[in-house]
Amino acid sequence: MQKYKTSKEQIVTFLKNSGNLIQNGFRSKNIVFWILICAFPLLTFVTDGISSMFSMIGVNLTLPSGDYILYIGVQVCVYILLAIGLNIVCGYTGLLELGYVGFYLVGGYTAGLLMRHVGVPYWLILPIAILNGALWGLIRGAPTLKLTGDYFAIVTFGFAEVLFRIVKNEIWLIRDINGFVKDIPRASVFVWELNQNWQHFYHILILTGIVIFVSYRLENSRIGRAWIAIREDEQAAASMGINISRYKSLAFAISAAIGALGGAFLAQFWGTLSAKTFEFWESILILCMVILGGKGSIKGAIIGAIIIGSMSEVLREILSRFPPDYAGARYLIFGIILVLLMRFRPAGLIFKRT
Amino acid sequence: MEQFFQQLINGLVLGGIYALIAVGYTMVYGIIQLINFAHGEIFMLGAYIAFTLVMFFPIPLWVAILVSMLFCAGVGMLMDVVAYKPLRTAPRLSALITAIGVSIGLQNLARMIWGAKPQTFSEETLPKFFQQLNPLVEPTSFLNIFGVSFTENAIQFSEGVFLAYLDLSIIILAVVLMFGLNRLVTLTKIGKAMRACAQNRVAANLMGIKTNKVIAITFAIGSALGAVAGVMVGVRENINPLMGFHKGVAAFAAAVLGGIGNITGAMVGGLLMGLAEVFGAGYIDTFIEFICNNIGLGQFYEDEKISHSYGSGYRVAISYIVMIIVILIRPTGLFGKSSAHRA
Repeated sequence: MQKYKTSKEQIVTFLKNSGNLIQNGFRSKNIVFWILICAFPLLTFVTDGISSMFSMIGVNLTLPSGDYILYIGVQVCVYILLAIGLNIVCGYTGLLELGYVGFYLVGGYTAGLLMRHVGVPYWLILPIAILNGALWGLIRGAPTLKLTGDYFAIVTFGFAEVLFRIVKNEIWLIRDINGFVKDIPRASVFVWELNQNWQHFYHILILTGIVIFVSYRLENSRIGRAWIAIREDEQAAASMGINISRYKSLAFAISAAIGALGGAFLAQFWGTLSAKTFEFWESILILCMVILGGKGSIKGAIIGAIIIGSMSEVLREILSRFPPDYAGARYLIFGIILVLLMRFRPAGLIFKRT
Repeated sequence: MEQFFQQLINGLVLGGIYALIAVGYTMVYGIIQLINFAHGEIFMLGAYIAFTLVMFFPIPLWVAILVSMLFCAGVGMLMDVVAYKPLRTAPRLSALITAIGVSIGLQNLARMIWGAKPQTFSEETLPKFFQQLNPLVEPTSFLNIFGVSFTENAIQFSEGVFLAYLDLSIIILAVVLMFGLNRLVTLTKIGKAMRACAQNRVAANLMGIKTNKVIAITFAIGSALGAVAGVMVGVRENINPLMGFHKGVAAFAAAVLGGIGNITGAMVGGLLMGLAEVFGAGYIDTFIEFICNNIGLGQFYEDEKISHSYGSGYRVAISYIVMIIVILIRPTGLFGKSSAHRA
């Protein structure tokens, strides 16, 4: 029988484990990856350089500008963050969540409205948005604890759609029609406002890194094991003494908090929010990332988010040259990806052997 | 009071449409326990096919409806064979995710083919008595019995209460199709096979019922009914790629309300959902205004700090809210069997 550790021992183990994790994260195999990621903004200078060099000798290359590539990089990082958040409910507890965009919306509007109309600084907003997201996760989670399978999916979907309608209609709250919040100030460090894409790339990289770290720590903890036990067999887990309601609520709250964090970042990054951003399709896009990578795997969520997220942004750019009706083509492609994945590779590209 | 009766008529018409769509959801759920998210897209496709036919070929509307029913039945069966059949033994959530994928795919395909702009049937393609009421022209009645006058395109009960022939034919069509479906399921051999599959698919298979064929036929029937509803909505309102999503979710909510898997439940649920949506959307603004005036926020309301168009804004949300409440409080719906295993 395992002896309960004192709090001091717990802290020591925590630090030790975290240290090991970080050490593993920086092993020679991974270090190349990290250097590449961190040098990403520098690489965009290279494309800019190539373009300008060619334009000097009179050849006009239509390479995308470095700043635009960085913008996509930031978006992809946000998608990684959201995919990891969704992975907690979808992957660990095994519930199909179709309304993740609702929490993203809560975070976005918490940040947007407070920064724009109340003038709360961004670094104070982050914890507020996270807490608010967690609160909404609990509010939605409490009545749905007993539901599983498709009924849970439908309730989450309905919840997100109702939030979307509220944002669209409550003009006393949003103070504009169609959920528009304009001129949200950007984050600033001391007196310097972060208004370059590369600054925000590092900003979101740090946030995403923290979320990945937290997610790894959760996965290998008592909590993560409890979630996986619930996914595999709820009744067996309950009979082993796992408090189902408590652990499920925890999963909902943490997942929602991560979603809200992503929303809060995007609110200040975009500077403008509109209800249109938070439609149902966005939830499906994030779900597609988690499923592509393999439910329940952090690496899978990251890779899925990189593939689908960058594909989404690149397709958006390509399709914008076609008539506007073709803008939906990217969702057509995601629909086909979902169908094919479920048919041929239901466990995703990267899956954990259990 | 006039408004009430007019809303009642509108609610019944919408309810008939929802019932037609909800049957498709509930039949598929009854047999393979799958929420066929793509059913709403079949409904939309039905509207677009009929629209294309009558706009580009000189054929009457009812032929177009029949062709569109056949086409949608085919698409429904194809969808089953291509997407869902390989997943019969897979976890149920895989099939649901596939259904969402199919739904998004079809919706955006329609958007690419027909455009995102709402389309309407042009007047000359419709039968004369189907045409919309023109509020500016005083209707000329050619028959008047006990204060109920029959005009060119509507029955006028009193000063402000109209029942357009279009609406009347939707109600009649819904009732006839529902009755036919009921007979089909209770009396015919295929209906018996469907009920057997719904009770226990494995046992039905062992008894020599070709379950895959029965499932395909179920998809076909549901899709054909959905196509009729699609054309009706197209004539009455308009056709756009998102109509399948909005009406589809409302109809699914109706199926849940009636007890998913139960055909009678879907009919009643559809009717109730139609009434709830129309009355909710019709009276919520009056209600909000009343509340605001009574708690001293009258000026606040006057200044449009609170939206004056909650009715249209929350119209779609009414069905979501009903659906959530039903699932949380009584997941078996009004008519559903209370079974222990209802995920």
